[in-house]
Amino acid sequence: MVTMDIDTLTERAGPRQFGPKDDLPEEYRKAATRMIQFHANSEIMGAYLERPFIRQAPSLDRKLAFSAKVQDEIGHGQLLYRAAESLGIKTREQMLDELANGEGKFLNCFHYPMTEWWETPMIGFFVDGAAMRRQATLKKTSWEPYAHAMDKICFEEGFHIKHGESILRELATGSRKEQKLVQEAFEEWWPRILQFFGPTDDQSTHHDFASAVGLKTMGNDELRQSFLNAYLPKARKYGLELPEYPRINEGENGRYEVVEDDLDWDEFWQIAKNDFEPGRQQIDSRRAAREAVAWVRESMETLGSGSNNTDTPQAAD
Amino acid sequence: MIWEVFRQEQRGKYHTHCGNVHAPDKEMALMFAQIQHGRRRPTHSLWVTPRDEIGEVDAEETRFGGTTDKSYRWASTFNTDEDFAAEIAASQREQEAAERERAEQDGGAERGSDAEQGAEEGESA
Repeated sequence: MVTMDIDTLTERAGPRQFGPKDDLPEEYRKAATRMIQFHANSEIMGAYLERPFIRQAPSLDRKLAFSAKVQDEIGHGQLLYRAAESLGIKTREQMLDELANGEGKFLNCFHYPMTEWWETPMIGFFVDGAAMRRQATLKKTSWEPYAHAMDKICFEEGFHIKHGESILRELATGSRKEQKLVQEAFEEWWPRILQFFGPTDDQSTHHDFASAVGLKTMGNDELRQSFLNAYLPKARKYGLELPEYPRINEGENGRYEVVEDDLDWDEFWQIAKNDFEPGRQQIDSRRAAREAVAWVRESMETLGSGSNNTDTPQAAD
Repeated sequence: MIWEVFRQEQRGKYHTHCGNVHAPDKEMALMFAQIQHGRRRPTHSLWVTPRDEIGEVDAEETRFGGTTDKSYRWASTFNTDEDFAAEIAASQREQEAAERERAEQDGGAERGSDAEQGAEEGESA
């Protein structure tokens, strides 16, 4: 089979158009790997960020929901590594090693520490809401195994976001102190949430190719716009006040315009290189957790190879 | 030798246990399974496996814990609105549909296994 050239690929690109049976050019396979690996890493790092709240949750219901959610997110990471692995560029082990040694990149929001309960809806509602908005568009990505992973992820994700909103509502309608704390958390997280979708399309380094070959189906700008349309009214509903900066101008026909220069892009690019100190700490603590349970993986592997060597049961015995 | 038989009704669905056959080897077991279990109900695929090879642990030996109320896992449990974002509404609809399908399958599987009881001997064709 001859490797498909870029022109043919671009022409054929469409929802769930390509799969492991197609002989695709390396450029596509690398771009898809970069994108899916980033996504998988983010699922894992997000799960680690929320894990402490299984312990810190104020009630049994919240504890159960957080534990289910963290379990889901780790599973999403595994599904995505599998979708990335099938592109033949990197193995799952390679990608997990890269995440441990600081080479693996992941979402900006998961580089910031989250220590207080009243911060949790910032991730659980706004960041996850933004992520789900993006993930819903990826059901139409051109790499079929990626789209397939999105089906299951989006199936589960509705619970996560509604749980996040439920916590937000509880705090926003709680005591005056709770309202004040959640407002402070919002002011701190809001600029990072706006940067979730990355730089504007004309500054995004990988955008053109990824959208030409159907890996991305919607640009950063359009996604942020659609996120603001759905989630800004929610913030207002719960009485959260937008900080003065970054300025957001409400244009005609309901479009929002974020003043880009009000956002800290130096910090964003530092994060993008894994050079932001709090993010490095989170990478390191995940690596420590991974090393602490290495014995489990090793014993599973030993068990697996052992049973392969013993005689398999003969059906007709 | 007894072989347990599992039927898959449609591509992509689970194989569920539907009865057993007596046969000296796997080829014969597959043939008897087709005759006894593949003709009367819609069948896409059949599995056979020697009864001795099936491991079992039951409620007398262990506590399964499957009685935990897991409603906290479902979007519909949280009474915030889902319609402000199409993707969240879609997620909740999918979860509700899956719940209905599970309920139907549970009912259907019990009726199915009752109907197949007693179909044990090989040469009924």
